[in-house]
Amino acid sequence: MTSVSHIGEYSAAELMVTVLASQLHDGEVAIMGTASAIPQAACRLAQLTHAPDFSYIAGGTCSVNPYQQPLVPSACDYRLLRAETAVPLSDVVLMEGRGDVFDIFFAGGIQIDAYGNCNLVAVGSWEHPHPRGPGSVGLPFLSRVGRVLIYTMSHNPRTFVEKVDFLSGPGFLDGPDSWKQAKLMGGGPAMVVTPLCTMTFDHDTLRMKVATLHPGVELEQVQRATGFQLEVEEPVPTTQPPTNQQLEIVRAMDPDGLLR
Amino acid sequence: MGTSKVVPISDAIANFVSDGAFVSVGGMNLHNNPMALVRETIRQGKRIGTLLTSPCGAMNADLLLGAGLVEEIITSYVGFEHLGLAPNFRRLAEQGGIRIFECDEPYITHGLYAGAGGLPFIPLPRGLEFSDIPKVNSRSYTFVENPFNGERVLAGAPLMPEVAFLHAQISDASGNAVLLGAQFLDRLMALASKHVVLQVERIVPTSEISTHPMGTTIPAFLVDAVVEAPGGCHPTSSHAFYSYDEEHLREYLDKARDERGVEEYISQYVRQTPEDLYKQSMAERVAALSFQESSSEKR
Repeated sequence: MTSVSHIGEYSAAELMVTVLASQLHDGEVAIMGTASAIPQAACRLAQLTHAPDFSYIAGGTCSVNPYQQPLVPSACDYRLLRAETAVPLSDVVLMEGRGDVFDIFFAGGIQIDAYGNCNLVAVGSWEHPHPRGPGSVGLPFLSRVGRVLIYTMSHNPRTFVEKVDFLSGPGFLDGPDSWKQAKLMGGGPAMVVTPLCTMTFDHDTLRMKVATLHPGVELEQVQRATGFQLEVEEPVPTTQPPTNQQLEIVRAMDPDGLLR
Repeated sequence: MGTSKVVPISDAIANFVSDGAFVSVGGMNLHNNPMALVRETIRQGKRIGTLLTSPCGAMNADLLLGAGLVEEIITSYVGFEHLGLAPNFRRLAEQGGIRIFECDEPYITHGLYAGAGGLPFIPLPRGLEFSDIPKVNSRSYTFVENPFNGERVLAGAPLMPEVAFLHAQISDASGNAVLLGAQFLDRLMALASKHVVLQVERIVPTSEISTHPMGTTIPAFLVDAVVEAPGGCHPTSSHAFYSYDEEHLREYLDKARDERGVEEYISQYVRQTPEDLYKQSMAERVAALSFQESSSEKR
């Protein structure tokens, strides 16, 4: 854990994996949806380093603690059953409803807004979308999970918008008043990780706030890539880059280079 | 035991799918899609009044949509995961060419429970009402008063398809079926649907099924027809047997970008190709995608 890699020796996705892994703790349980290679690698990395008693359930296959031998792009893949065990999907839906079993839900969207609300359905009106997205799957359950970690490979003004056109998965809704009034069981979005930076949510305004800039990324670049005014507290620290040990573990589970 | 329900694929669709039926398609994302049954439905030009997907439909829904056979769809996702959006679902949705009953995974799951158990409706966990989904789908969702504490709760309508198209890895001739990988919601679909048409990789003797009775996912008394369809999920995967055919899926996604292309694809691979011929022409590709597992895993 001592040697630190230099800029350029790892991909953006690999950095996102190590950043997300640092958010996962022993004893916690995480769930995730379709096409979730990044959070799955993060979960496995956390287990193999600082959080051996962390658990995660992979997408629709619902394998518990898959070994990621190898990491696969589809969240319903048969190879995810190389795992400690598996549960039926309907049981996962029951436990999501119970609301006190899962600590972390990895989420994303075709739009993500300033309050961390996610949209997987439609840009424009629902009746006349452009584009029409695939659909929400389990995202409405963001309302009942300990905390939400949002990740996306698309940090641009089309994805990061002031307000989502369609709400699939609730973040802090319309801000402090509506959030307080909703009295949701879940803790809401905790962090957003993109190829440019990490963001958290301002304690008072509940709006997205730049937390760290990835090595080599400027603050103006992040603001330009975001369709709303970000909260900022300068100076913004630099994201902790992956260690060589972390990269070795991640690359050993990723022979097909999904993250490169 | 039991009488054989093994039938040719043409009979399975002709006899158990009425015109305008409410059909549910099993499998999830790029896996266990009952593609042989889907292709045969297109060959016979059966109109589907309502199509229900598992939480995540893919080729199973998109091809039927592309064939112009679907009037309305109940779904929480139609897409191809890391390979991209579903081209026909997207085009029809953007052009207003399909009635969509927008759903989420919890409702599809609990709605099938309700259908399977004869529940008139099912209350849903608090919090789901904060998405925009119930606002655009009043046929599936409504609000009721909790009779125990007077609170307003979101509720879902039961899902009771007329026929479920499901893929299982193995079954006996009467339809006792085993899903050797993930079950997704296929078992619930079998429980909630009036009829089940099953396609399987391999038909085995009942004695083989009964060595692990708790491993049987669908009991034969729920099954109406069994179609032996090795490779029948192609180009999607069949858990424990073969992976999805990414190259073929990309060809489909590329062609289906416009209506002419999708018609070309359907004409070439479906309408002009009986299922037996499709199976033969893809056999080598399916064999190359086979999981390199010990044969004991496949029983």
